[in-house]
Amino acid sequence: MKKRFEPIVDKCGEIVDYLMSAPYIPDDVSLQFKIRLSVEEAVENVVRYAYDGGIGWLEVGSELEDDGVVLSIELRDAGVAFNPLELPEPDLDATVEDRKIGGLGIFLCKKMMDSVAYRYENGCNILTMRKNIA
Amino acid sequence: MNVTIANEGPKTVVTLSGRLDTTNADQFQNDIAPLFECENPDFEIDCTDMQYTSSQGLRMFLMLQKSVTARGGKMVMKNMNPQVREVFDITGFSNIITIV
Repeated sequence: MKKRFEPIVDKCGEIVDYLMSAPYIPDDVSLQFKIRLSVEEAVENVVRYAYDGGIGWLEVGSELEDDGVVLSIELRDAGVAFNPLELPEPDLDATVEDRKIGGLGIFLCKKMMDSVAYRYENGCNILTMRKNIA
Repeated sequence: MNVTIANEGPKTVVTLSGRLDTTNADQFQNDIAPLFECENPDFEIDCTDMQYTSSQGLRMFLMLQKSVTARGGKMVMKNMNPQVREVFDITGFSNIITIV
């Protein structure tokens, strides 16, 4: 399944719900939690930062790979070229006083999925997340 | 996301239910705003019915903990479901917020 959303301002919830409505999203509570969280963080990242003024599109899609074992989710936008995987990792050992606020979204996405890959192609940011759902 | 705040003696019990995500993070911020103002904070946050939190929720919990620490108060989060607990563990929040 694949769908393009435009505009995307304030559409994060709707886009997440669309991706989570795929019939092959697993029923398992823990898996579903991890997928939803990863999708939300990745979508929110595009909605907030990809386009100046928030005017632009986001195309999202998902499919099963490897005989239905692997869920693959792709986000594609034409915003500012930006590799979110290069964001600095949070300092997990900081004290409460020193701990920085924010910077956890993409970190969580990477932790919750089995793999997250980024590429820039034909003027588009493409983020691909994969999770074994067997 | 539903938030109720109740005073039980010196303690303030905050009960959270539902999903805390990008669609209601601003509302949540408004709902818990009073917790940033009171003196001698002693908060017990009951997460029994909180099904989910995204990084936007984490941001608010960290801001609240920082505020409580700065005021010399206490804050405890209890009864997290295993999925929410895992998010707190992975992000290191379990080290800076008391979870029982």
